[in-house]
Amino acid sequence: MSEQSETRELTPAKAPVAMPEWLHSLLGTLLAISIALLGGAVIAIMVGESPFHVFMTLLRGAFGGPDRIAGSLLQSTPIIISGIAACIAFRGGLFNIGVEGQLYMGGFAAAWVGFSFVLPAPLHLTLGIAAAIAAGALWILIPAFFRARYGTNEVVSTILSNYVAILLTSYFTIFVFKRPGGWSETAPISTTAELPQLFEFSRLNWGLFIGVALAVGLHMFLTRTTAGYSMCAMGSNPKFAEYGGVPIRRNVFLILLCSGAVGGLAGGVETLGVHHRFMEGFAPGFGFDGVIAALLANGHPILTIFTALFFGALRAGSLLMEVETNASRELITVVQAFIILAVSAQLLVRRRRDSQAGERRWKY
Amino acid sequence: MSDHQGFRPTPSFGAPMTNAIEMRGVSKRFGPVIANDDVSFAVKKGEIHAIVGENGAGKTTLMNILFGLYHPDTGEIIINGEKVEVDSPRRAISLGLGMVHQHFKLVPSLTAADNVFLGIEKTRNGLIDHAAQIAQTREFSEKFGLSVDPEAIVANLSVGIEQRIEILKVLVRGAEVVILDEPTAVLTPQESRELFRTLRGFTDQGMTVIFISHHLSEVMAVSDTVTVLRDGKVVGTRPTAELGEDDLVRMMVGRNVSFSRRKRPRTDGERILSLKSIWARDNRGLPALQDVSFDVHGGEIVGIVGVDGNGQTELAEVISGLRHVSHGEIVLHGQKIQDGDPRLVRHAGLAHVPADRLHRGVDKADTISGNILMGRQDEAPWSSRGVINWRYVRERTEELIKRFDIRANGSRTLVKTLSGGNMQKVVLAREFSRAMPFLLVDQPTRGVDIGAMEGIHDEIMRQRNEGAAVLLISVQLDEIMTLADRILVMFAGTIAGEVDADTATEDEIGMLMAGRNLSAAAAPTVNEAS
Repeated sequence: MSEQSETRELTPAKAPVAMPEWLHSLLGTLLAISIALLGGAVIAIMVGESPFHVFMTLLRGAFGGPDRIAGSLLQSTPIIISGIAACIAFRGGLFNIGVEGQLYMGGFAAAWVGFSFVLPAPLHLTLGIAAAIAAGALWILIPAFFRARYGTNEVVSTILSNYVAILLTSYFTIFVFKRPGGWSETAPISTTAELPQLFEFSRLNWGLFIGVALAVGLHMFLTRTTAGYSMCAMGSNPKFAEYGGVPIRRNVFLILLCSGAVGGLAGGVETLGVHHRFMEGFAPGFGFDGVIAALLANGHPILTIFTALFFGALRAGSLLMEVETNASRELITVVQAFIILAVSAQLLVRRRRDSQAGERRWKY
Repeated sequence: MSDHQGFRPTPSFGAPMTNAIEMRGVSKRFGPVIANDDVSFAVKKGEIHAIVGENGAGKTTLMNILFGLYHPDTGEIIINGEKVEVDSPRRAISLGLGMVHQHFKLVPSLTAADNVFLGIEKTRNGLIDHAAQIAQTREFSEKFGLSVDPEAIVANLSVGIEQRIEILKVLVRGAEVVILDEPTAVLTPQESRELFRTLRGFTDQGMTVIFISHHLSEVMAVSDTVTVLRDGKVVGTRPTAELGEDDLVRMMVGRNVSFSRRKRPRTDGERILSLKSIWARDNRGLPALQDVSFDVHGGEIVGIVGVDGNGQTELAEVISGLRHVSHGEIVLHGQKIQDGDPRLVRHAGLAHVPADRLHRGVDKADTISGNILMGRQDEAPWSSRGVINWRYVRERTEELIKRFDIRANGSRTLVKTLSGGNMQKVVLAREFSRAMPFLLVDQPTRGVDIGAMEGIHDEIMRQRNEGAAVLLISVQLDEIMTLADRILVMFAGTIAGEVDADTATEDEIGMLMAGRNLSAAAAPTVNEAS
């Protein structure tokens, strides 16, 4: 028995082809996306549609005209910001799977500031964004504290905090702040708190630039500053960072707090820029999509913009696809799931290959 | 490596039936790396055959091929005169081979007998027949002189006994040829001697033993024949009796290497590090250090020896601020440092070459310059106002790459692409270039080839002669004997004794390492196999 499992562990992969690391990585990502699209095609056939027709509609829905492109960017915005939130945690070697919850809390806090106060325009908007950031940070405070102080697994605690956030904001919306006669939504925010729109024909707003600026800023922070260097060292090898004098516990706490704050900002941008009120279930899965986008980009902030754009385009395209074909928008969820499977399978294979060709040989 | 003219491979072609194992023209590549290059050698039936070579010479790969863990790219294996295809360990076992790996693979919660029969359990009516397993384990252990209590739980046993269980596993499966990978790495000198007596017993009963080692003295003492590998090639197979230790070293490295004690000027430095009655616990919460006190002065090297797992790891962690001290006081360069804060200790004047190079010493995923920066990212001119001065970092890194002879393609090379020896040089370059008053150097040459080893020893001596206080922890006795001024021997979490390095003998130290002069028999064994 033990001998058999040993064989499996130690038998090396067939001589790996020598190719540059980045090419290998790119090919892998393309392969993952191809496999996912293939899976999507199979589903399309199963619902009696031509996969070609479905994908063309998808493409047209995402990129067929300025308003459609703006729609894709609009869908991408919260995913980019959520993705940056997840990146911050990833690069510090942590997982914030609670972006969704922070987004809900941030969104609600921003809306509350928006409809509760009467203030001049720039101040009102700033206060709303600040409230969103504070709410996001607050929402990760407990997981962050327990992770830093007692080493409690932050994956579990942040996932669980999602449910509380979603249900709590839902309670506030329905039972405390419900607009009389309306849907499950609060009163609209005053215009002084709105994030300005970019075009007449779309709800696309300045939030997109906030997201891109955050990504670029995070990238500079990670590559140029000592704090960013310490954070990356922690994420890549915590024992090494500890040995080099990086205060691990303090950093764990701060990194999670920042990650949560940005998660809250994602929600604030969504309410202040798009909906101008808080609606129950206003942002289904944006936070989770952000986490996946960051994962796909391997925690690289600039790449995260592009993976987030990909997911945003899928979402936008699926709206038209749902109207014009038999395929429902859940098809897109299936495609995303396939991508995640393919990418994680790829990571697994790479880790095996590394451990066999590297560690085994230079044993000591 | 330079050509080596003096020795040539001597594959034995006469009387094939006397060869238990023969490997012919075996080659194995891992990507760009050739681990074994056209290796041919033969092992006679009933002999003890040592495979020696530096780390990375291809010894373990070769044995893994023989045992069916790797498939060779070319070449053939002949066992008892018959060409065979060894495609799995299962097949190897059925051919009468048995392998004892360097890292034991035992289940700690089971008894010795259960471990011996793991996977080939004796059953009666579908249930495990413990009585039969115990009886048979006892029978084998008596027959081969491997004293083991079959009913003891493995977690409570010492490393030496665990190794015996590993060997019993192999014997019970009917091995005629026993392969051991670095069997003495974890043993005291006394335990090693006992092991060798056992191995001699095997050959007396007609079995064959192959063992991998890079401890030359034990190769000389116990083997009948030696095969030397260098850079994946066979340098030669010779009867041990015809060789001297220097011949072996020459064969391994292609040139003479001196293991003699380094000459040194006398120095009288002030006290730099002082430990007063230190107590600390290990990761499992058991006492790992018990009342440890000593001083290290500027301009001296204090060597710490001991069998792995007697508190050396915890000692290094306590001094570097990575482990909490339960009682006692550590003063480094006039500053108390037992608060368990690595940053504080570094500021107080520590440079640290950690034993766990891959996990503590470097970030493999980062570049060489990223690794050189660690620990001084907050210091000017490495950074100013929170922004790293990468240009300066790269320039300094290029300088250090030259000075420490790191074989790499510039400062942007990823550390994971370097060999073990060059990785270690990155660590040394970072730590020794800090000009700190105290150096904590833990297993500096583990897994490093002999050529690089000399350079590392030179560098440690230079630091000492320039006035640094050096605490050198090593499991390599000869390394300590070569470098240290004073030697402290650790056993079971205590300093079992101090000897003067000029007059100490290996036997004297070996006795201390085995805890022989300790009157307190109650001293708990610390860290069986961490």
